[in-house]
Parts: sequence; structure tokens; C-alpha cells
Amino acid sequence: MGDLFSAVLDVGTTESAYTAAARFAVVLAFAAVGEWVAERAGTLNISVEAMILAGAFGAALGYHATGSVVLGLVGGMLAGGAVASVQAQMSHRLTADQFVVGLTLNILVLGIVGFLDSEWKLSTRTASIVEVPFLVDIPLVGPALFGQPWPFYLIYLITPLFAWLVLRTRWGLEVRSVGENPQAADVSGIDVNRRRRQSIYLGGLSAGLGGGYLLLGQVGRFDPGIVAGRGFIALVAVIFGGWTLRGAIFGCLLFGSVLSFRLTLPGLGYDLNNEMLSSLPSLVTIAAMALFAHAVRQPEALARPFIRGLK
Amino acid sequence: MSLAVGSGRGTGGRVVEVVTIYVVCGMAALVFSGLIVEAVGSDWTDVGKALLNGSVLKPGRWGGTIGVTIPLAMVAIGTIISTKANLVNIGQEGQLLVGAATATYVGSRISAPGPIVVVLILLAGVLGGALWSGIAGGLRYWRKVPEVLTTLLLVAVASNLVGYGLKNPWLLLDPEAKLGNRNMVSRQLPLDTRMPRITLWGNEISISAFLAVALILLVGWMLSRTIWGFRLTVVGQNRRVATRFGISESAHGMIAMFASGGFAGLAGAFMLTGGDFANYRLVPGFSVNIGWVGLLVALVANNRAMAVIPMAFVFASLRTGSGFLASTGIERRVTDVVQGLIVLALLLPPAIMFIRERRRALASARSRV
Amino acid sequence: MGPPAAICARLLSKSYGAVAACDAVDIELHSGEIHGILGENGAGKSTLMKMLIGLVVPDSGTILVDGSPVQISDPVVAASLGIGMVHQHFSLVEALSVWENVALGDSGRLDRTAVRGAVGEMGERYGLHVDPDARVADLPVGLRQRVEILKCLRREPAILIFDEPTSVLTPEESDELFGSLRNVVEQEGRSVALVSHKLTEMLGVTDRVTIMRNGRVVERCLTAETDAGALARAMVGRDVRLRSGSRPSARASAEESPSTDTRPAPVLEFRGVTVAESRGFVELDDLSLVLRAGEILGVAGVEGNGQRVIADLLSGLRSQTSGDVLVSGEVIDVGRLGATIRAGVAVIPEDRHDSGIVLGMTVAENLMLADPAAIADRGVIDRAAMGEMARGLIERFAIMCTGPNAPMWTLSGGNQQRVVLAREITASPKVLVAAQPTRGLDVGAIEYMTDQLRQVASTGVGILLISSELDEILELADRIVVLYRGEMTGEMSRSEATREKIGRLMGGDLT
Repeated sequence: MGDLFSAVLDVGTTESAYTAAARFAVVLAFAAVGEWVAERAGTLNISVEAMILAGAFGAALGYHATGSVVLGLVGGMLAGGAVASVQAQMSHRLTADQFVVGLTLNILVLGIVGFLDSEWKLSTRTASIVEVPFLVDIPLVGPALFGQPWPFYLIYLITPLFAWLVLRTRWGLEVRSVGENPQAADVSGIDVNRRRRQSIYLGGLSAGLGGGYLLLGQVGRFDPGIVAGRGFIALVAVIFGGWTLRGAIFGCLLFGSVLSFRLTLPGLGYDLNNEMLSSLPSLVTIAAMALFAHAVRQPEALARPFIRGLK
Repeated sequence: MSLAVGSGRGTGGRVVEVVTIYVVCGMAALVFSGLIVEAVGSDWTDVGKALLNGSVLKPGRWGGTIGVTIPLAMVAIGTIISTKANLVNIGQEGQLLVGAATATYVGSRISAPGPIVVVLILLAGVLGGALWSGIAGGLRYWRKVPEVLTTLLLVAVASNLVGYGLKNPWLLLDPEAKLGNRNMVSRQLPLDTRMPRITLWGNEISISAFLAVALILLVGWMLSRTIWGFRLTVVGQNRRVATRFGISESAHGMIAMFASGGFAGLAGAFMLTGGDFANYRLVPGFSVNIGWVGLLVALVANNRAMAVIPMAFVFASLRTGSGFLASTGIERRVTDVVQGLIVLALLLPPAIMFIRERRRALASARSRV
Repeated sequence: MGPPAAICARLLSKSYGAVAACDAVDIELHSGEIHGILGENGAGKSTLMKMLIGLVVPDSGTILVDGSPVQISDPVVAASLGIGMVHQHFSLVEALSVWENVALGDSGRLDRTAVRGAVGEMGERYGLHVDPDARVADLPVGLRQRVEILKCLRREPAILIFDEPTSVLTPEESDELFGSLRNVVEQEGRSVALVSHKLTEMLGVTDRVTIMRNGRVVERCLTAETDAGALARAMVGRDVRLRSGSRPSARASAEESPSTDTRPAPVLEFRGVTVAESRGFVELDDLSLVLRAGEILGVAGVEGNGQRVIADLLSGLRSQTSGDVLVSGEVIDVGRLGATIRAGVAVIPEDRHDSGIVLGMTVAENLMLADPAAIADRGVIDRAAMGEMARGLIERFAIMCTGPNAPMWTLSGGNQQRVVLAREITASPKVLVAAQPTRGLDVGAIEYMTDQLRQVASTGVGILLISSELDEILELADRIVVLYRGEMTGEMSRSEATREKIGRLMGGDLT
């Protein structure tokens, strides 16, 4: 116990630990903000894992073809959007089960990119680091939040953008209503499945951007195992955050920190239980749900398909 | 979903339509797979031949395919039970792993006559899987935590748990494995604690195949013909009616949850003792997606017990067939692509028919304007 | 010639399987009129309206709006054509606020201030006041309906459809609603379609009535030229006994002067039963009552005053906070699973879809729910016995369906209710709880139900008749208790009861 305490203290005063945590958390956050929109509309979108992976591959392809990080990121978004369009069309136009489609996509996309990756050799590199003047000098967290590769800063843009979209616009009101009571939304003249599809597209674009960032901002070289469950953790973060955007971002930061410990702790001379740390996001979320299940309300129609006339 | 008859079409026409849609979707999946293969400069006929040869055609191959079919079918039949109770269990991959781990633990600790150990291994697998799904079930009924989330989350925990066990000799690690090489394997099951294998027309199959078929028939019969199955359906469809008639929602739901995890765990135990996977040892990544794919089998079988066996066989064929792809110079992963496309193709027809039904109604209304 | 038709349907048909819900229906709704659509359950009124609003796609037929043919494929199209509907089961999103719900379905930029202002303004104009910032989940039923109407009116519909709007309202609320409707029609020239099975509403509110039976229009008339008897005859196709305050039962009058010795034994007793909700709200307050064998005890009261809790208690769906429930003199723990059903309590629930039937299962399976063991051998269902049992009950209770294996959802509401009745009566209960047993039923089905209840009582079953319809209570009950805010405000025999007296007690006036 004492060990753990001093480990946490050590980590808490090490600048590089914050940087590592932020790098981990931001990929989760890109995926989580999109996943949040999809879940508010009623889709428990487990293909987010595939969307990130497709995003990373799309970014690799885009960069390889053009040599531009911007176009690489666009490629990532398009690839994420492509996965999203299959998920959206299958589950919210053709009324196929959303989990089956999601599971299938996770396997399918892994197969496709793994296959293509082994056939095409893509050369990529990481984007350059851009430091935000003054802010980067904040002790401890400065470099973590303001001394990162430039695509990192896109998260500061899309998080408030998505919040505004969902919570302030008519589109967002409709998205929330289809996630809560699709029957009511339907008779109010809202195209329920269309809103759900759109929310998934948005999720795909943002997860794809996350994948693109993961590749071009951090890893630098594509590998089919690059995502390593980050999509699931992002999904968990949304649940952990009680379906609020603030909570989801907090979840990403928390889980990002915990998972980055796996990298930071050995460097500080601690022997750690890697499996325990890896399980922590899931365990913490299960515990949180068990303890606060009554206080937190999930979107009423989450994971329930909408077919007119069937309840 | 109501399929209103009365648009002037006979049943025969409908059957033709359904079959056509399935065939067209299946062909589309194959064509799309073929295109991907062609895109990287390989020949799709070679790939197709290799897949068929590897799964059923070449001597001795279909035995191996049956070996993969067994755990897939077990996972799927368990899934059907929980679905009947309106529970969404998507954590079979984890339940299978935990079942395999408990089975390994029992198998490497207990010294008794071989057949007894085999039975104990299978029971341990069932218990392990049931325990893992039972956590999700318990949280569902006592803390109202949606089981779809917990089952999913527990997959990651299970895989970490097994990873931990395989690092520690007091749990699962084979004490004789070379630690320097970070060889994370369990002790190999002794010869007499393995599931007997028999040879049929040049194919070796584990006798767990017969056990699996018997279990599937039993579950199918229980769901459709017994009071228990009836009550489970009532619980799944209207829990207030169930409560009103003294049918315990939590008791039936828990049993369904235990059963579904238990079958996944049994799948793990079959994989361990059967010899078609990992050579009678537990290794990291032992589950090789059988849990996920088994779940897909249940869903494309549309939750009919009898459809589980053929569906599981088709999916197993892809896996075993991929073993022959090396000769074609194409990446094994292409079978994941084919598999994914086939699932999507099988999901399409019911959806397409639903849409056509609606279109047809609209069109016939329009035609009389 | 009346005003021009705002909407006009020609030969509209819709079938579900072999059942024609609507069969070549013609209807015209005119501007500036309230048009009543009267019919039994399953007569096709709801289906007809759903076709006009785009929730159901017709198999054939034409719809003309302002004289030109249109294709109403979904509610969006209907809204763009100026057709709006206020639904029987509300179409509000509970998690959202009132103004958000009202704004839902509009187009253009979401302007909170403007929508809130509009809610207030319309509230003034139509007398439909409601707090725009309240969360719908926190509102009582009457207010929710107001939100629903505001939402609909905000889109300035030319045609406004109401589907059984008063089934959840108090009489006062109903009067207010119809007052607002008159405003809408007369001042703004809109057209209103009022779907209902209540004859008094048809006569009191509408300008014109269309009567449907078995999916067809059987009669059209001007309200001023008809009367209750004619409407009822057209609706059921034969003469029916209209309800009145008089009570023909000779059996019950003998019980009006009971002597303690000859009174039958109590089959159900409540002793100081209190049910408090988790937030502390008392739903049932120290209720004591006695129901004897062969007796019909009416529980009167405006809905939402504790009736539902009584039915839920006796269904084993809730348990009391304090007090005792006794069946045949023995205390039973209603919260224990299956305790009430074992003790011999049968229930016809107020909402059959909620706790009465399983829509996705077959008629036979729904019938066997009460006692599956009877047609099973050591846990294995005997298919032949099951079919035989079901066919017997289908015949005896004249349930209209294609057979024992017909899925429950293919039956009309009235026939679903017959399935419930058949199952509950044949379970040979000691106590039968009938909660709003005739709600949503047509005159013919109501008559059938009341006859059945009388007959069951005559075999010695105690019946607890929970109803918010005073006429029903006065017609059937031997004794009456009145509930107000979970408390019993009065108890009397039928002979002591007058409408006025009960009405006062229902309103909490205890002087």
C-alpha cells in the first residue's frame, strides 16, 4: 500500500507522466466525444474500435499518397466515416442488430486493414510538435496539454463544438429525443433513424480523426494492433461519465492516466501489475455503475432499435 | 415484424423471393471478397479452392473443421438461452477464457483416473464461464447495471486475469516453462485427461462433438417444449406479467445468464481438452475470437437452436480453410474479411425483406391513386 | 352543403394478415367542424387515423388534401400537409422540458426564448397553461396532454386529430379540453377529428359523426339530427341496453338489508393498508375494507387516487408499507412472488399490455399463463392438451382469432381483453379484481363484460370493481367505497348511494 502511495506521488510530480497520460487520453477523447453523440441518439456503438483502426489506416494511406499530415487526417476521418456508414446503414436503415454489426465490423476492419497492410507498405512519420507559447510553461501539465503534435489541439476544437451541437441546436434536441423516446420523436415528425445515422457518422468522423492522430501524432508507423482496445475504453469512458460530455472527458483523462502508468511506472523504478492496471478502466466503470446506477440515467432508448409500430 | 400476406403473392413466390435475396446477398459478399483479393494481385479462384480444400475437401480436413465447430456451437447455443430471457450477453469471449482457465487449473492440479479428470475439467469450465457471466447477471438484477455493458467490460478483465495467471506458477503457469523466454503457457494436459478422439473416414474428431450435438438438441427441446422454456420466454417478453404469475424474473434471468456463460466456459473446456486448439495448453490469446464469432453464429442463426450447427460449421470452415491460404501467397487475414462480409450478407436479407414489404405496401397504395 | 373538405379519404383499406382493419373507408373532414369518429374497439378508427397521419401505410385507397391526391408515407409528410395528431399514448419525451418538447418537430433555429414565449402565449389563447421549464417527467397526466396539444397547435395544423383524448382526464379537465377545442375550431377555422367510443362526447361536442364497425363506415350523420340510441345501434349493429343509474339486479337488493349471521364470509380484507412511495408520497393511506363472497364491491374515485396501487398490490407487483392484506381470512404477503395468485386472487388489470398479456406469444400461451402445470406432465408441455384447452376457451368466450396459435398482437383490443377474462375466470378464483374492466371497450363488449362479472359474482366469487366511471359502479356494485388521495372518504351500500354523494366524496368534499 505504501508502495502504491509513493508511486502515485512520484507519478504526480513527474512532468513526463502527465505528457504520457495526455497522449493516451486524447486518443480516447477523440473517440469518446463522437461515441457520446452516438449514444445520446441511442446507439451503443461498439464498432468505435474499428472506426479508430480504419482512421489510423486511412491516415497512413492519405499521408503515404500525399505526404501531407492534413490530408492524412482527412483520410483518417473519411475511413472512420466509411466504417460509420456501414454501421449506420446496416443498423439504422436495414434494422440489423447494432451489436452484431458492430462486432462484425470490428473483425472485418481488422481483417481488411491487416490484409492491406501486409500487401502495401505504407511509409509515414509523426507530425511536428507545436508548443503553445506561455501556456506550455505551466508547471507539470503545461507540456502535456500545450506541447504536443499540432493535431492534438483539434480536441480543444471539437469537444466544445460537439457539446454545442448536441445541447444547443435543434439537431441536438432531435438527437437527444431519438435517444430517449424514439416513438415520440417519430410522431413529432423526426426521422429517427436518420438522426441516429447522422450521429454515427459524426462518431465515425471523430473516431477516425482520433485514429489519424494516433498514427500521425504519436506512433508514426501503422500496425494492425495499433488501437489495442482504445475504442472499447472510449466507449467505457462515455458510460463512466454518465452520458455527459464532461463526465466522458473526465473518464478519458482518468483512464488515460491509469493506462499510461504502465509506461511511466517502470521508468520510475516501480514493478507493477500490468494486468491490474489494464483491467482498471473496466473494473472502475463496473464499480461506478454498480454504485451509482440509480443516480445516473442512461438514454432511455440506448441500444434499442427503432422500427415504426414496434415498441 | 409483421409480414402481411394478401398482396396477391403465394407462399411459393415468397420462398423464391427469400431464397433469391439470400443467394444474391451471399454472392455479393463473395464477389466483394474476390475483388479485395484481386485488388492485391492474387487470384480469387486459388483462394476459394484453398479455402474449400483446407476446410472440407482435402483428406482429414473436415475433422479439424468440426473441432472448431464444437466451441462455436456451444457459445452460440448459450447465447440463445440468454437472448430468450431478453438479456444481451456480448461477453462470451471473456466467459470462454475464464472457463478455459478454470478448466486448466483443475486439469493441472487434480490427480485422479483420467476419465474422472476429464469430467471435472468440463465441469470446471462450465463453472468458470458461469461465474463470469454470473457477475454480470448479479449486477443486472441486484444493482440494475445493464448486462450488455458489464459482459463487454468483463472481456478485457478476463483476458488480463488469464494473462496474470499465466505469469504465476501458483496459478496457471507451467513451472517447467522457461521463464527467461517469458513463455506464458500452462502445463500440457496428460494423455489420459484428454478428450478421446475417434477416426471417421480418415478424419479425426473429438467425441465432444457428440456431446455438443446432444446438448444443442436438449436446449432446443427445453426452450420450446418445457414449462421452464415457456416461463423464460414470458420473463423475456413481459416481466410484469411474469411477476404477476409468480414467475421470478431474477431467478430465470440468472439461470439464463449462468447457462449462457456456462456454455461459453464449456466451449473453452472443449477447446482445451479437444486437441484442435493450442495443443492441450492454455496460452495467451487462447480464445482466438471463438467467443465473438460464436455470438455472431447465434445471431445469424436467428436464435433458432437447430440452425446453430450448420452456421457454426460454415464459420468454422472459413477458419480451418484459411490454413491452406499460405500456398496461395495471400495473407490469412483475408478469411476475417470473408467472414465479416458473410455475416453482413446474412444480416441483410431479413432487413431487405422488411423494407420491401413496406415499399410494396406503399407502391400498391400509389398504384390505385 | 357543408364547408369544403379539408381532407378526404377514398376507399382506404388496410389489412393485418387475414383481418381487414379498414375496408374501403370513405371519410371527409371539413374546416370549422368537429367531426366525431365513433366505433367499437377494433372497428378501425385508430387504424384509419394512423393512415391519415402516416403511421400506417394503407394497402390501397386515396387521400386527398384540399382536393389533390397525396401520399402520406410518414408523420413528416402529414405535418407538412397540415395534419396533426394528439395521441392517446402521449408522444412526449419525458427527459426533456416542456418547451423542448414543444419545439420538437419544428424546423429552423432552436430559439429557447421564442419557444418559451409561444408556450405562454398559446396557453393564454387556448386556456392551456403550463410551465415551459418543467420537466415532462414531473408533470401529471392532464398537464402532459396540454403539452401535447400545444405542441400540435404550434404547427398551425389545418386538421387536428384527437384519439380518445379524455380517457385519462377528469370530467373537469375534459370540459376544459372541449372548451379549448371549440375555440380552435370556431375562431381559427381548423378541422378537428375526435376519435372516441363515448356517446356523450359525440353528442355534446361534435358537429358531425361517422360511425365505424368492423373496419367499415356504417353510418354518417349530423350530430344535431341524432341521439344516443341511434348512435349506439349503429355502432354495435343491434339494440343495446344503455347504461342508467337504475340497477336491475334482484340478487343484490336482497343483500341491502343484511343481517350479520347470514352474510357470507369475507374473501378479501384490507386492514390499515398503507403504501408509501420511496420519496415519501403516500399513495394508499390506512385503507381498510372487506369484500365478501358473491359480492361486488365498487371502488370509486377519480383516477390517480390510489386505485392503481390496490390492483398492483393484489397482482403481486408491489407491496404495502404497513397493514395487512387477508384472503379468505389468512394474511398473505403480497410482495412474495406468486403469493396472491396462489391465494386465489385473479386480476383483470387496468392496462392489459402492461401486466395482462404477452403480445409476442400466442393466444394459447397467454391462456395457459395462470396454470401451465395443468397442461404439462412433469414440466413438459403437452401440446395437444394445450391446443384443446385454448380452443375450448376461444369458443366459450367467443374470442375472435385465427386459432390457438394466433399471435396475441393480431387480436383487437376487445378480444385481447376477452383472453384476459377467460384466463382469470377459469382459474377459479376466490377474488376477482376488475380494474377499469371496460376501459377502451365498445358498448357491445362492455355489455359482455358486465354480464360476465355479474355471473362470476353469482358463483360466489368476490369482485373488487375498481372503476373511475361512476355509471359502471352504480350499475354493478352492491357496495361502494370512495377513494380520494389514497384515503377512503366514504363507504355505503348501493341503496344509499347517489351520484351527487359519491361525486362529492370523489372530490374530497367530506361535509
